[in-house]
Amino acid sequence: MKCAEARKFLRLYLDSELDTKTSLEIEQHLESCPECAGLFEAEKKFDQRLDRFLRHGRATPAIWKKIERQIAPARLPHVKALWPVALAASLIITLSAFLFARSRTLDLASAVEECHSAYVHQITTPEFSGSVPRQIAQQFGGRLDADAFAYRPSEPAFTSSGARLCHVEGVPVALILGHCAETPVSMIVLKKSELDHFPQIKRKLESGDPIACSRSGRYQFAARFLDDHVICMVGDEPRPMLEGLLKTVRRADG
Amino acid sequence: MEPEEQRVRFLDLLQPIERDLENYSRRMVCDRRDFEDALQNAVLRAFRAFDRYREGASFRAWMFKILTNEIFAINRKRGRVGHAEIAVELEEMEQFTGLEFASDATLSWDSLADALDEELLAALQTLNQSERAVLLMRGIGDLRYREISECLGIPLGSVTGNLSRARQKMRAAILRSQKRSLL
Repeated sequence: MKCAEARKFLRLYLDSELDTKTSLEIEQHLESCPECAGLFEAEKKFDQRLDRFLRHGRATPAIWKKIERQIAPARLPHVKALWPVALAASLIITLSAFLFARSRTLDLASAVEECHSAYVHQITTPEFSGSVPRQIAQQFGGRLDADAFAYRPSEPAFTSSGARLCHVEGVPVALILGHCAETPVSMIVLKKSELDHFPQIKRKLESGDPIACSRSGRYQFAARFLDDHVICMVGDEPRPMLEGLLKTVRRADG
Repeated sequence: MEPEEQRVRFLDLLQPIERDLENYSRRMVCDRRDFEDALQNAVLRAFRAFDRYREGASFRAWMFKILTNEIFAINRKRGRVGHAEIAVELEEMEQFTGLEFASDATLSWDSLADALDEELLAALQTLNQSERAVLLMRGIGDLRYREISECLGIPLGSVTGNLSRARQKMRAAILRSQKRSLL
């Protein structure tokens, strides 16, 4: 790919609107062309600054409580039968409030962002390569297994630098650290049974989405089920690239 | 689906995007006092039409579409904007090159102070309604170009055109701010 063509696709590339093949061609061009790489980097910084400005602000709980109170079922039952409904409604509201509170604090995408950020800033480094050392396996406490450390993307552009055991919101996870081209990518693997701690992602994956995507801070996030595990990819990669990488994940022994 | 189940399902889908909807509404309305009404009307309208929402489709894009229509209606009532707001452009995506960005490659971002937000806010106000909607749907809603095109009922080329112009104006604001900081 030549400079003019790469630049023609600049915005589509940064907005993750390109197919995986063209994205890869652009990546390859950027590796060999410092001028284009500088241009893309400047534009990415512009995006980050603009996004920070646009996304600044929080939800106002009082407004949303008021709105949610006005959302009522389309049909109301007869007054005589109202008390069991009121009881059920209060239970549902309590349960919803509980789930709502948890979904705000326990979100897998934002939880694993810290892991990846620590890797990018070299605060976290791999502990081992190959099979899981016994002293680490002893820390699983029945909530993780050695298989979680056996997954790798089969995509040739991905190189692994090793793995380590981590805890995300108290959940033990396998953290596989690597690079795709020269960009750091973290793969986080946890048991499906631990997904109750992350209801947002659980709902999305169980609703039939083969891949759940999100953006957390500056990183893209993608997750999918594989065997008895949840595989997550986090990186500063365009979303199609990360999804493409995630689709190639296989168990090393399978 | 039973009415109560429908209500719970609707709230389940709504809650993760409340912050984005609120940010979008705040920045889209011409009169800041309208943002809460726009949100409330849009959410209630969406709930009443929830049986027409196709499970598996993007709830986020569906909600942004309803909220956008609500905001456009409120803004029209305020008399701040005309009816023919959506500029239909015929540019094709391939016509957009990255060359226009080359002169800004040397922006020194770290030297910019937080006062820049004021400059950006002022620049946002100068965007027409279509440019602002496209920029915010992309920046806050994280919607794909095609989703934005469907939300606004405009061709894909108009999405890229409006987005490109909006970004240019925001970029100009940043450059102005940078020049001031150098004086």
